[in-house]
Amino acid sequence: MPESMMQPDLQDVAPVQGVRASALARWQERGWPGPKAEAWRFTRLASLDKLSLRPADASLSAGMQDIAAAGMPAAAHVIRFHHGVLVDASLQGAPDGVTLRRLDEAGLTQMLDLLPADHPVTDLSMAAMTSGLLVDVAAGAKVTTPIILMFTGDSEAVSTHPVVLLRVGAAAHAVVADWHQSAVGLSAPLLGIDIADKARLDYAKIQSDGAATTHLAATGIKMGENAVLDGFQLSVGGCLARLEAHVELAAESSDCRLSAIYLGRNSQHHDITTNMTHAFGHCQSNQIIRGVLDDSARGVFQGKVHVAQDAQKTDGQQMSRALLLSRKAEADAKPELEIYADDVICAHGATVGELDETQLFYLTSRGISRDVARAMLISAFLDDAVDMIENADLAALLRPIVTDWMQAQKRNDA
Amino acid sequence: MTPLLEIKDLHATVADTPILKGINLTINHGEIHAIMGPNGSGKSTMSYVLSGRDGYEVTGGDVLLNGESILEMEADERARAGMFLAFQYPVELPGVAGMSFLRAAVNARRLDQGEDEIDQLEFVKMVRAKAKDLSINDEMLKRAVNVGFSGGEKKRYEILQMALLEPQLAVLDETDSGLDVDALKIVSEGVNMLRDAQRSMLVITHYQRLLNHIVPDYVHILANGKIRRSGGKELALEVEESGYAGIDDAA
Repeated sequence: MPESMMQPDLQDVAPVQGVRASALARWQERGWPGPKAEAWRFTRLASLDKLSLRPADASLSAGMQDIAAAGMPAAAHVIRFHHGVLVDASLQGAPDGVTLRRLDEAGLTQMLDLLPADHPVTDLSMAAMTSGLLVDVAAGAKVTTPIILMFTGDSEAVSTHPVVLLRVGAAAHAVVADWHQSAVGLSAPLLGIDIADKARLDYAKIQSDGAATTHLAATGIKMGENAVLDGFQLSVGGCLARLEAHVELAAESSDCRLSAIYLGRNSQHHDITTNMTHAFGHCQSNQIIRGVLDDSARGVFQGKVHVAQDAQKTDGQQMSRALLLSRKAEADAKPELEIYADDVICAHGATVGELDETQLFYLTSRGISRDVARAMLISAFLDDAVDMIENADLAALLRPIVTDWMQAQKRNDA
Repeated sequence: MTPLLEIKDLHATVADTPILKGINLTINHGEIHAIMGPNGSGKSTMSYVLSGRDGYEVTGGDVLLNGESILEMEADERARAGMFLAFQYPVELPGVAGMSFLRAAVNARRLDQGEDEIDQLEFVKMVRAKAKDLSINDEMLKRAVNVGFSGGEKKRYEILQMALLEPQLAVLDETDSGLDVDALKIVSEGVNMLRDAQRSMLVITHYQRLLNHIVPDYVHILANGKIRRSGGKELALEVEESGYAGIDDAA
């Protein structure tokens, strides 16, 4: 064991079998990455050692509150996890074409295949899984009713490890929101997404966990031929958050858009890490990352685009921009291109800057107050990314959260 | 009657370098004053000092608008008090939709004066009507502020803002720069339509040609941080013929 006080404490977790047992063995052997792990250079997990966490169980589900959220589409099917534990009633009433059931060993094996391998979050949450769910969208089904995975919780003594496998069948269409608003010690969700040939998924993740929550997510996505992902991640909550997504473009002509916004204030730390693997040719990937950081908040974007030797005619784009509103805020970007094919269009860029004083003066010279002028410029900066979201229901979920964050900004400044 | 604007022995520095070295100027309601001067004379600095831009430090003197000092006021407060600056180089705001920008500016002024926010439909109608006078089409109104505008379009858009905000004092900073003859005509006609007995203007220009279109009541020659000569509109013609050489010594 690498650490004597490794958090969370898995001593009392019921014995596990199969792939979960191997994950537990790997976790116990390796634990959290040490100070020299390159992939975690900008995001240190030392603060976890100070906590005393145990994985949540169903005994905590009493006292669950109803959820009210702005912009929630009326017709959505909401699947609830409280403290990472699936609420049984959520399995009822799924939209036509969608099957919901608990994950079995075959599903867990597929999860492991999708998720980042040799990864501490993968291994920990497979081992300590609080609930496993399979969402199956039948081949050819067009499900435009949004499916909302809603994660809540209010006990900071626990860690949560929900595991969700989402399979979008051939030529099917699904709209899924993945919304985390838990106030727990550690929120460590695993999500595997398999998008079959000619299928389309509109996906939005919202991380608006509690102010004391550490959110460490591992997501694995595999895309078939002519598959489309319109994906977006928003990280606004938590004290330390890392949203890590690995995508494999595993057949020709798929189109993957995976943009992200992070908004940080106080001493928040947001990390967006992506790993885009173009294994086959004629695929496109496009990532627009925007961060806004105030106070002494810190933002990290690590984006790797790997283009295999045979992946000719690849178009891989990645652009990260961070806006610092305070002298103590800090942003790091590590874009990486690994290209082995010769006929590709790939570009990446990363900038870090402040609000433009000339633009602020232009706005204020028209009588607009400095606070409103700042909000207008921040909003313009973020719209670039938010406007990428094609699904109106998902955009409507995200926008109020971004707006609320900026309203709080104005109150802070006042 | 209290003058609209009184500039009294105004001194200002930029990055610790003295640029304005004792400006005195009084503008009454309804008057148009032109400030002419060579490059580096302090013309643009004067426009920024009046409108309250950060980095332009007043080291002496005072500026009174309707009898009250504005030096402690921020740029947005001055604008709501009735000042308007037409920029020499209007600023592009990518991602800021033109109509919401114009509405934010109009509403800021209205709320300050205790009025309600303007009705959306009424606002669109008003913008369209004023835009038409300046040959600004709907497509231009839909774009982000100044983004993708030609030089002439940017200047017309400045005048549109002036028409919507109805300032008491408009400072036009080199509004003629970068304009061809046709664009100059449109912009000048737009400005002339806004002339009235209550509105005053300070027209800053390097060349006399703008003053053929916007005819001033008074002309002042600024050189090396001070007004060296003042006169009627004929002074502009005199400068056009003999140039700025020797003006420094004329004070």
